[in-house]
Amino acid sequence: MSNTQQKEEKVTIKGWIALIVLCVMFSGVFKNFDGPLKAFDFLNLSGAFGKIGDTANTFIGSGGSGAKEGFLEALALIPAVSFAVAMIDTVTELGAMNAAVKLFNPILKPMLGIPGACGISFVATFTSSDIGAVMTRELYDEGQITDKQRSIFASYQYAGSAVILNTINTQAPLLPIVLLAIGPIIVLLFLCKVFGANMVRIILSMKERKAGGVANG
Amino acid sequence: MAEVNQVAANEKAADKPIKKSIVEVFMKGAKKGFYIGVEQILPAMILGYVIIQFLKLTGLINILNIIFGPIMGIFGLPGEAIVVIISAFFSKAAGAAAAANLFSEGVLSAAQCTILIMPCMLMGTLVGHFARIILVSGVNPKHRGLMLLVPIVDSILGMFVMRIILTVMGLM
Repeated sequence: MSNTQQKEEKVTIKGWIALIVLCVMFSGVFKNFDGPLKAFDFLNLSGAFGKIGDTANTFIGSGGSGAKEGFLEALALIPAVSFAVAMIDTVTELGAMNAAVKLFNPILKPMLGIPGACGISFVATFTSSDIGAVMTRELYDEGQITDKQRSIFASYQYAGSAVILNTINTQAPLLPIVLLAIGPIIVLLFLCKVFGANMVRIILSMKERKAGGVANG
Repeated sequence: MAEVNQVAANEKAADKPIKKSIVEVFMKGAKKGFYIGVEQILPAMILGYVIIQFLKLTGLINILNIIFGPIMGIFGLPGEAIVVIISAFFSKAAGAAAAANLFSEGVLSAAQCTILIMPCMLMGTLVGHFARIILVSGVNPKHRGLMLLVPIVDSILGMFVMRIILTVMGLM
């Protein structure tokens, strides 16, 4: 991963459209829509397994337990995860993440107290746990962020880590059950992450003030 | 290992002037997703389901329910939900698998599963990610204790907020 340079790429119309389509698909707004718009929903496009015989059961059947049941449940999740990762990689290729960087750059300072230079790594943390951490270290080594800002940014990354990809991957068993669409869940998780990072921000600021007001707020 | 190779391959491809076609990118992503399923989700599901099976066969799950009932009740959850939290502590996916299992057993409702997705994510894989994020990013050792607190505070907040949202929407 030598190319973690904090270079901003040009944002194309394609990138904006890709970002919007991804948001719409995961938001669930068209899930129960009548007409062709219902194709713009992630779960609808994922489809469903066929039922076996006259029963209401899929190939998983009913009444299973233990490791065997866990195996079949995992098997049943793979198509949706595979599709979701494919979608995210595709919109990334189309430049959606560059558009997202543009979107988040100006609000990073008020939201988390970290400079706009963190924009690229901030957006990277949506879909990767590790790249963000490596980039954070580099930002500090390059002198772009202070010790305190590094702690705030790392605490944001720590809880839930890669919030979009992890919700799709790790919470896959729960997604068919839960009562909210994946989009709103990701937004809520994101807000909780921002809350936690701000708690760190406030505590560290208070400590700084107590220590006699070291420079660099 | 495969991942490292893939990253290397991606970088190589990025250096080339020829652009990958969107179809290629999509199919490669689908393949990546398949391996995530097999290498990450499947083992976690086995872990989650075996933990629950063990607790059920030993009868420990009833004891957990009695002990943790009052605490979990604050979040609108039955005592058995502690199993989900404990599993999530090891791995986010194991927590989710445990919750899905308890849902199919009729122990948890869909609304309760929705609440549990918050701690499964926010405090999931607590130890593993401490190394991968806090240590890798090089956080000042003086701040590390504070870092551990963040996922727990976030989870408590998340569960409360989700409970309120579901109640307001009339889903609970």
